Amino acid sequence: MKLYEYQTKELFQQVGIPTPKGKVIGSATELESVKIDFPLPWVIKSQVRKGGRGKAGLIQFASTEEEARNVVQRLFNHPEKISKLLLEERLDIKKEMYLSIIIDPETASPLIMACTEGGMEIEEIAKLFPEKIIRERVDISRGLGNFQARNVMYSLGLQGKQIANGAQVLMQLYRLFRSCDADLAEINPWVITGPETVVAADAKMNIDDNALFRQKRFVKSRDQFDDDLEFEAFQAGLHYIRFDGDIGVMSAGAGLTMTILDLIHHFGGRPANFLEFGGAAYGRAAKAMDIALKNPKVKVILITTFGLIARADVIAQGIAQAITELKPKIPIVAAVRGTGEEEAFKILEGLGLEPMRYTEEAVKKAVAIAAGRAS
Amino acid sequence: MSIFIFSDTRVIVQGITGGEGKFWTKHMISAGTKVVAGITPGKEGETVEGVPVFHTIRRALSQVQADASVIFVPASFAKDAVFEALDAGLKKVVVLADGIPTQDSLEIRSWALSLGAMVMGGNTSGVATIGESMMGFIPFWLTHVYGKGNVGIMTRSGSLTNEVASHVVRAGYGFTSVIGIGGDPVPCTRFAEVMPLFQEDVHTKALVIVGELGGTMEEEAAELVQKKIFTKPLVAFIAGRTAPPEKKMGHAGAIVTAGKGTVSSKVGALEKAGARVASRPSQVGELLKESLRGNGDG
Repeated sequence: MKLYEYQTKELFQQVGIPTPKGKVIGSATELESVKIDFPLPWVIKSQVRKGGRGKAGLIQFASTEEEARNVVQRLFNHPEKISKLLLEERLDIKKEMYLSIIIDPETASPLIMACTEGGMEIEEIAKLFPEKIIRERVDISRGLGNFQARNVMYSLGLQGKQIANGAQVLMQLYRLFRSCDADLAEINPWVITGPETVVAADAKMNIDDNALFRQKRFVKSRDQFDDDLEFEAFQAGLHYIRFDGDIGVMSAGAGLTMTILDLIHHFGGRPANFLEFGGAAYGRAAKAMDIALKNPKVKVILITTFGLIARADVIAQGIAQAITELKPKIPIVAAVRGTGEEEAFKILEGLGLEPMRYTEEAVKKAVAIAAGRAS
Repeated sequence: MSIFIFSDTRVIVQGITGGEGKFWTKHMISAGTKVVAGITPGKEGETVEGVPVFHTIRRALSQVQADASVIFVPASFAKDAVFEALDAGLKKVVVLADGIPTQDSLEIRSWALSLGAMVMGGNTSGVATIGESMMGFIPFWLTHVYGKGNVGIMTRSGSLTNEVASHVVRAGYGFTSVIGIGGDPVPCTRFAEVMPLFQEDVHTKALVIVGELGGTMEEEAAELVQKKIFTKPLVAFIAGRTAPPEKKMGHAGAIVTAGKGTVSSKVGALEKAGARVASRPSQVGELLKESLRGNGDG
């Protein structure tokens, strides 16, 4: 789950990481009523989840109140559907740097990355200044050492009091990273504004979805999703991603589902979605079909499972329930195999469906139906 | 012969009294697994399929001896359960839960490495040595999927492994051991750590890798082949060729960022090292034939 900038900065303020003075507003009228205790000029930043806000015109400057009112008005009417703006004091930037903590899958450790060049995406930094990226691996059982934080600050070339202050920021960032179950905590740009001060001009944090059960303060709401159906699926414990093809995919297990998408493309078809109801969700085939059918572009439903714990007989019962309740008007192709498959085949036959025994045959059939070559 | 678990491996089942724990304990026993104890706090004195249940592993070990543990508890309790097993001195642990917080997995891996233990998972269907023992939920009785033979298989996926395995069996082969390292972005054990075990096993004549996009484990596997640390025929299938970048496809592991971990980089590395990579699951059997023929074992 991606936090908004203002949420991340609230967390920063709680642990003493310096941020610009700021105020969040939720409407243009709120600008009139709130008390803003920092002087113009302001930076007005749209709170959206995606990067590249500057280029997209979602970050604006205002040097008079009149200008601020116009900018606020314009941004709240932006097609991007912005629900919050962050107003901030405009910093006197001497230098922009980059600082982040990620989980490095290769070493299975938290990894600190820092760079004397900031203000652009890390991918860009890595391309332009690969030799300037400072990496510091953290042993998760030992935690981040003060000496490691100091090493990073010296490598960044910080001076005087900036070193202790910067190291303190990194220590607190690591504590937040751990205590919030983040998989990314990023300050970019991290800006030097004076001989002692380093300020988090922008802030980004992603929380591990798997840890949300113990991170109750973070709740995934509709605005975390690109699409209504994706949100509906999430609420039902399913994973759905919409594409623009016409074959409605229902599968169990992420690896198999990805393979089905690959096979559909291979045989010349186009998937309408990724929809996975494996693992603990295998009893929810009926709900999965409900969601798959809600995309009006879908011409055929392709169900391919090869379950282990996701028992084929339970999945077949779910399909039976879905067909009874939803009465789908489009063809269904089903290869439901794995644990309990003989029972599943009987259930499918009872529904008048041909139980397919080979995944690739099922995919080919669905592709042919979508192309109008079969029914 | 085989790897990781054998007919004499004494196995504890943590979370044995839950629905899946009970269901799969029955199947593990019929797979030949020597299940010596079950663990569920508050349920000591009960039995499941004739297996005595204890409150804790420590209490179980005062009555029975064990070498390994398979963990059926939910993701939110998984780290604690793994630590309980590791602290009790068990060196082989299989943690099945899907959805373990990534930072928990980092802690588990770090702790296991320091103890010289091997933890498989999370988000795995388990491990099996066909005809001897099984820890997890692998439907070994489907002989058209998991026949016995001389091919090893290691995987990041469950259902996809069934699919690939069925094509290996269709081509006339069967398996020594099935090792599910799990589909999490940071598994507790990596492909490159399992391969030396398959290399040593005299009964394993070839190895199948079921990989997917994301991470660098397939590239690490290729490196072992390149360096001749692994010298047996290797066939891989890698899912996610057409997955759009920056979108999570279920497994958190399967995400491509900054151009790293793409299927094409994995395929390239494996092929360069001399492994064969199938573009569809149904080609795995054929490629296996070619590899074994090339190796003089056809």
